[in-house]
Amino acid sequence: MSSENNKKNWVGKPLPRKEEDRLLRGRGKFADDIKMREMLYLRFVRSPYAHARIVSIATSDAEAVAGVVCTLTGAEILPQVQPFIEIAPEPGGKIKDYPLAISKVRYQGEPVVAVIAESPGIADDAAELVQVEYEALDAVVDAEEALKDANILHEEAGTNRVWNGVFEYGDVEKAFSEAASVVHIDRLHFHRFSSTPLEANVVIAQWNPKDERIYYWCNNSFPSFAIQFLSAHLNVHIDRIRVETSDIGGSFGIKITSYPQMAVCALASKKAGGRPIKWVETRSEHNTSSAHGNERTFRDTRVALDKDGVITAIASRHIDDCGAYPRYEPLGCVIWSQVVPGVYRFKNTRIDFTQTVTNKCPVGPNRGYSRMQHLWFLERVVDICAHELGIPADEMRLRNYIRPEEFPYTTPNGCVYDSGNYPKMLQVAKGLIGWDEWKKKRAAARKQGRLIGMGIGTTLDSGTNNFGQSQIVNPGAPFSGNSQGANCKLDIYGEVVVAVGSCPQGQGHETTAAQVVADVLNIHPDLITVRTGFDTERNVHTGFSGTYASQFAVSGLSAVHGAAQKLKAEMKRLAAFVLETKEDDIEFGTGAQGPELRAKSTGKSINYWGLANIVNVNSAVLPVEMHDVTLNCRYIWRAPFKVPDKVKKYGNLTLTYASQLHIAVIEIDRDTFIPRILDYVAVDDCGTVINPAIVEGQVYGATAHGIGAALMESCVYDAVGNMLTSTFSDYTPITAVNMPKVKYGHIETPSPHSYSGAKGMGEGGAAPIHTISAALQDALFAEGIIVDDSFNNADSLFRAMVGKEIGQAAKLVTVERRP
Amino acid sequence: MYPRAFHYHRASSLKEAVTMLSQLGDDAKLLAGGQSLIPLMKLRFANPQHLVDLNFVPGTSYIKEEGGALRFGALTRHAEIENSATAAKIPILHDCAAGIADVQVRNRGTIGGSLAEADPSGDWAVVLITLATEVRCLGKKSERTVRFADFIKDAYTTALAHDELVSEVVVKKPPKGSGGAYIAFKRSAPVYPTASAAVQLTLDGDVCKDAAIALGCVGLTAIKARDAEAALRGQRITDKTIAAAMEAARAAADPQSDMRGSADYKRALVGALVKRAIEIAVRRARGEQVEVGHIYA
Ligand SMILES: Cc1cc2nc3c(=O)[nH]c(=O)nc-3n(C[C@H](O)[C@H](O)[C@H](O)COP(=O)(O)OP(=O)(O)OC[C@H]3O[C@@H](n4cnc5c(N)ncnc54)[C@H](O)[C@@H]3O)c2cc1C
Repeated sequence: MSSENNKKNWVGKPLPRKEEDRLLRGRGKFADDIKMREMLYLRFVRSPYAHARIVSIATSDAEAVAGVVCTLTGAEILPQVQPFIEIAPEPGGKIKDYPLAISKVRYQGEPVVAVIAESPGIADDAAELVQVEYEALDAVVDAEEALKDANILHEEAGTNRVWNGVFEYGDVEKAFSEAASVVHIDRLHFHRFSSTPLEANVVIAQWNPKDERIYYWCNNSFPSFAIQFLSAHLNVHIDRIRVETSDIGGSFGIKITSYPQMAVCALASKKAGGRPIKWVETRSEHNTSSAHGNERTFRDTRVALDKDGVITAIASRHIDDCGAYPRYEPLGCVIWSQVVPGVYRFKNTRIDFTQTVTNKCPVGPNRGYSRMQHLWFLERVVDICAHELGIPADEMRLRNYIRPEEFPYTTPNGCVYDSGNYPKMLQVAKGLIGWDEWKKKRAAARKQGRLIGMGIGTTLDSGTNNFGQSQIVNPGAPFSGNSQGANCKLDIYGEVVVAVGSCPQGQGHETTAAQVVADVLNIHPDLITVRTGFDTERNVHTGFSGTYASQFAVSGLSAVHGAAQKLKAEMKRLAAFVLETKEDDIEFGTGAQGPELRAKSTGKSINYWGLANIVNVNSAVLPVEMHDVTLNCRYIWRAPFKVPDKVKKYGNLTLTYASQLHIAVIEIDRDTFIPRILDYVAVDDCGTVINPAIVEGQVYGATAHGIGAALMESCVYDAVGNMLTSTFSDYTPITAVNMPKVKYGHIETPSPHSYSGAKGMGEGGAAPIHTISAALQDALFAEGIIVDDSFNNADSLFRAMVGKEIGQAAKLVTVERRP
Repeated sequence: MYPRAFHYHRASSLKEAVTMLSQLGDDAKLLAGGQSLIPLMKLRFANPQHLVDLNFVPGTSYIKEEGGALRFGALTRHAEIENSATAAKIPILHDCAAGIADVQVRNRGTIGGSLAEADPSGDWAVVLITLATEVRCLGKKSERTVRFADFIKDAYTTALAHDELVSEVVVKKPPKGSGGAYIAFKRSAPVYPTASAAVQLTLDGDVCKDAAIALGCVGLTAIKARDAEAALRGQRITDKTIAAAMEAARAAADPQSDMRGSADYKRALVGALVKRAIEIAVRRARGEQVEVGHIYA
């Protein structure tokens, strides 16, 4: 038999994904694939206005349509529910959020009435007959305008401001008084976009009158969060809510906030006598009213630098726009502070952070959530200072990067960067792209009047949150730490079955969990069944379970590893008893009868079936002292966090910090203004790699999302709050024809904070957005243009270069040089 | 995303389709590739009560060379034109067919449906207006031939009567010494262009004997840029004459701002596209084989 002496390591191998066969052959099981007897279909009637008072609603014509079972309005659900939990303290905490508009609508696309019918077509027909009379109100779509409170969205809050706080560390004024130069940047803007998962939101809900329980089959990507909101909202004991997810076609955080629709579906099922209700979101609904990423404006930035161009302090005012309802917010008001200094060494900083509501779609924690906005800001600051001071972009970074020998590095606000080597990543990336040759080509091209720019973007993907940071935004919040559950068992016939509280959307959890268990038990990963998809009834979830925020490699696999270790210990004990030997005589491997445990001294062995048989169906042979052996082992992993200091806003907010460094070479065509990526490299460091193929796939996916966001994708509203990008023809998500060839490289700095050295790496920190902004600015700086927005398509470049509307350096940036 | 209920009729000949149209009245519509009509019905922007399906009419999909002209059956799919060696004898037709949306749309969408739809952003009209094109229209009583210049009247409006259909599109082969090119800027494959330019030039040595220049997506219909044509006609093609044509094209454009771009940008862009299309057209007129593709964001 193969034994532990010739043990193979599965972790670290590019094992093809176990789920690939099913997914690529179109045999995935998605929520919309579920069909049930007596199923009804729900269609929302949505607000055409961005801001309006509801004068009246008439549903009788819709109800008269044959096949319509019922309708549901805000007024009808009001007595049955509590407003959703608000995470914010006052004033944001006073906002009342219901899943159907009550007396006002606050964004175009807000659900007003639900129509429930025997078929989706009938529901669509009837929805057209619902009459809603509105009295239009002035809409406010600009964050800074909203903060003037001339038009208030939520009267009960009395202001549009959701949250405000000052994050101050070090001695900012001293740093400015000692600075050799101070750079002022008037305004930078990070645009609103979404990662547009291929599968839109789907909810099937049944409020079953027989057992008074609510059953969900859906694709929410953070179900344990959703049930906490739903339980309080619906006045239902949390144990009475069952959520199951199956395959999910992407979430990127956008599907975390589908709980309002989940609530309506449950209430509709209740009204329809317990029949299951299916709601399948259309693409236009998804684009207008699921969730968008956070938009952020950076005002009055001041940067202090020493004589060598080393940044010593940054002070700025950040205004975050969360759309009409905060929902997951204001967590974004603190989540950015996981990366206060980015990859840089400056110690002094003051960020005055405000979040406001506007008459736009509510935001959700979109891929790179809240950190990418801040990291983009820092990269803009670094590049603008570098250009203004005449320091090359690579040199500027090397002078300011946290140094490899400084890890673990404590940031000014107490976060501990576990490991990293930014100069080395830069070196690898420069090598892959041929930095020096490109510099020569750029110089030659510029002589011919061509606009070629080279840009670097360095970024962090902080993973495994300390939910204690919620107490920084709301000292009363009852959350801290992080945990994940897993179960590992030998089933009755000896099958190894693993269950985790995650709900993967393409991240390959089935494969990586099997790799981890395979190494613990010394068997082939194909022998391990991994149950993925969330199910409250599996009892492997904690309040933090789900798939979001780059954490599975750490929280999920630590839980799986813990459960597998527990199982291994029990198997060893049981085998020693059966084989009449000592535990340290037992070795794990695979023999003629499949996976087995063997006594080294005697050569006798017992296979998994034999072990499972004794515990499950032959237990009379077990002595009493072995009764605690169940071969069914649950393990809850807890992150080693403390509650942060709420007053000082200080503490460790995340466990691991993966890093990415991208370089782009871009040419802007002088005639068409179309930016073309000539060369692109992405270098990733996510610590110890569990499955290189999966990591590489995540990097390409994140890169595509980032390039799309930088050049093509923007959620656009007109001045009165009409959403102009409700279809893919208008929104134009990135497709294969838009992708440059991406060169991929990686380095590995193992994390001392995870058992395996791995770091979470799903979000990629939107490195391409920083990188493309940097490259465009490099191309345009000589033309007097500063890239001040994260979104730059041909039209915006035209307006900057010809119309001189945006990005004019003379208006945006001033440099104060001290003698 | 479900259309309103409608009645479905399957025509077995074009004549029968015309008869059905006249019997069913204004609420009936023909269904060809469905790539414009079905999305509109799903969004409930179009709500016909009757659909008359042309897809099962035999002999409506063909590409023939006859008497110095190429003839396209109304139901000929964009993909068939893209992959046809006969169609490639007029290279600008291949440029157009190969650049429409993505494979799925090209496999379904038809040339007849595109012309009948007269979408202001459609590609075919821009190209066909630079060539000697005729549209054969079949009515209840007779079939008539309409010059392409008279076929598209306005955005979404053609010379077709309600009970008339496009049966064939006839394109005369350009004379010897003629070359053309069609180039669009598209943000991604499955969307309509931000702007496009079609150029067909006939050279006599270095001198441009004849020029046809059309602009797409910068007006309610394809725009024939007559001043730009005049800037080249009878002239040698030089940087100067090209620049003059570019400027004239920009002046002829009448774009609107939308998600594809601001009006000012589209105007600037269309000039640049005209310049590129002229450069390719000249090379092709001189007998060079040149592959062109659209420019994507
Ligand atoms: C995602 C997407 C992207 C697209 N991008 C482009 C693009 O970039 N460029 C472009 O040019 N087009 C584009 N299209 C449109 C495509 O080319 C369509 O095929 C075309 O516009 C309509 O042709 P059809 O055969 O599909 O017509 P249908 O949709 O079936 O019909 C369109 C209209 O024409 C009428 N009709 C159809 N056939 C006839 C006939 N023989 N006689 C009279 N009336 C008739 C119908 O009644 C209907 O009113 C796109 C479509 C989609 C879905």
